[in-house]
Order: sequence, then C-alpha cells, then structure tokens
Amino acid sequence: MQQQPGLPAVVAAVREGGSDAQAELLGRLRAGDRQAFAELVDAWSGVLLRVALLYVSTRASAEEVVQDTWLAVIGQLDRFEGRSSLRTWVFRILENQARSRGSREARTVPWSTAFLPDGDGADGGPTVDPARFRGSEDRWPRHWTDAGLPRPWQPPPEEAVVAGEVRRELRTALAELPERQRTVVELRDVLGLTSEEVCERLGISAGNQRILLHRGRARLRARLEDVYRGARGEPDDGG
Amino acid sequence: MVAENPAPAPRAAADDVLEVACQEFVELVTEHLEGALPEPVDRAVRAHLELCDPCVVYLEQVRSTAAALRTLPLPTLPAAARERLLDVFTALHGDPAEGGTGSS
Repeated sequence: MQQQPGLPAVVAAVREGGSDAQAELLGRLRAGDRQAFAELVDAWSGVLLRVALLYVSTRASAEEVVQDTWLAVIGQLDRFEGRSSLRTWVFRILENQARSRGSREARTVPWSTAFLPDGDGADGGPTVDPARFRGSEDRWPRHWTDAGLPRPWQPPPEEAVVAGEVRRELRTALAELPERQRTVVELRDVLGLTSEEVCERLGISAGNQRILLHRGRARLRARLEDVYRGARGEPDDGG
Repeated sequence: MVAENPAPAPRAAADDVLEVACQEFVELVTEHLEGALPEPVDRAVRAHLELCDPCVVYLEQVRSTAAALRTLPLPTLPAAARERLLDVFTALHGDPAEGGTGSS
C-alpha cells in the first residue's frame, strides 16, 4: 500500500497510533514533505497558541512556546514511535514546553488551582432575565411572556452574509466573559476541542465544564440577541 | 404584537410525568445539547420542544451562537516564524521535490 495518494495531513494526524494513515503521513514527513508539514502548522498553530496561553502570560511567550513545540516535533520526528496519534503527541510536547516555561514565569497552571465553584458564576443565578417568563400564579407558569419570547435571527450569525458587525460584537462579548467561562467557550466553540480534551487540559470535571460553557454561551447569545433586536428595532409593543 | 399561542399549556400534573417549563428549559439547554441529561429529563425536554416554538427558537440561537464562534479567526503564528519553521523542517528532513537536502 505504498503511494496511496493519502489523506490530508490534518486528517491522518488524528488517526490512532499504528494506523495505515498515520504510517503514511509519518513517511511523508520524514521524507521532507514540506507541504504536509505546513498543513499541520497552519491547522494547529492557532489551537496551540490558545492552549499555551493557559500556561504563560503573554502572547509573545505563547508564540515562543509554539515555535519551540514545532522545533521539537521536527527534531524528534524520526524517533516518534507512533503509539498515539500525531496530534496527541504534538499536544503533549506543547504542554511540556508550556508548563516548564510557565513555571519559569511563575504562572503555574493558575487555571485549575484557582478554580472555585463560584466567582465566575459556576453556581449562579438564571442565564435569562426572569422578567421574560410568566409568574408562578400565571395560567402558564414559567413560560415565555409575549414580550419576552425569543425571535428568530435572520439571517443567522454563522452565515457568511452576516456583516462583520455581528462577528465583531461576538468577539467583544467573548473577551468580556469571566476568564473561566471565556476559556471554556474558546476551547470548545472557537477552537473546536472536545469536552474530554477541555476537561483534561483544564483539570476540571465534565459537570463544571458544562456549567461554564452554559453560562458563557448564554451571555453571548444574549449579546447577539441585543444586536439583532437593535438591527430590527425593538419589537413592536403589544398592541 | 400578540403571539397566537405563546406558550403551551402545561400537561395535567396528575400523571406524574416530568414536565419542563420554558424557564427551566433555558437552563437545561447546554446539557441537552451535550447529551448529558438523564434520559427521563431529556425526554421531558424533547417533549417540551415539540410543543414550544419559542424554546425551539432559543435552542437554535444557542446553536447559532456556537456556530458563529466557530467562524471567528484563530490566532496565527507570525508569517516570518512560520517560514522559519518550514525552513528548519526542510533543512532537517530534506526536500524531496529538489531531490536532495537544500543548503542549510
């Protein structure tokens, strides 16, 4: 099975250790396939930078950590035994690099050690204004009021036609989230890590991860709702 | 504006079927999306969604928010750093296209 045209490098790189796809990719990399390497660098550097920032305090440090990681990957490529996926191996190298750099910066995984079940609202009140729901003595208790019910977003914010304004608003709102919520939302929704990866990286339970994701997304949804309402003018009064 | 049927009437509480109201749904939405709810609760959530259009809209908005986040640009390495990495890669592992290792 030589010279199978092969999967894109980023696809092969997540295949488990010992798979044909991984062997083929390793062969290409060891033979100096610059394009395959570039594909990995381009696809993963953003995620690596973000994960590095969990350990080090500045963007510049994170960039150095990521560069050192890729240099280590280049240097150790011939010795990689392929027991895990290439992606897992690269992330492990990153975390080692970032951790040692972070401890030199005396910023040792502030995230997990500082995690408390409050503060950023890991407990906390409702994520939607209670005024938007009917009272308990209403005929339909705790259901949306006429004025409070959510209205469809047209066109939805993920569509390319939506002006940059929506996206700018979303970035701003993301930056304003409490740190733990922001971190979880970035890793899950912006970078597309799985919940298992996020829990492992942050050292939190699946339940805490979901709470932070829930509260973070709820705030961002509310912010987008404001944008859409503003764009359309306040909903007409109940006449 | 008067919505014709803004909210479903709750089922008779007589049969002790678990019921979810809108105000509860909005706090369960993430666990529902994550598939993390116990089955009886998730069943109640699905039953609620079948009857409640506004909550379907809410669910879609949460999904849309996550999807829109996915379209945000990621940080990248500076172009010069990227080029340097590729050059180190080629210096160490050779460039098959050129039929030999380039000068280092």
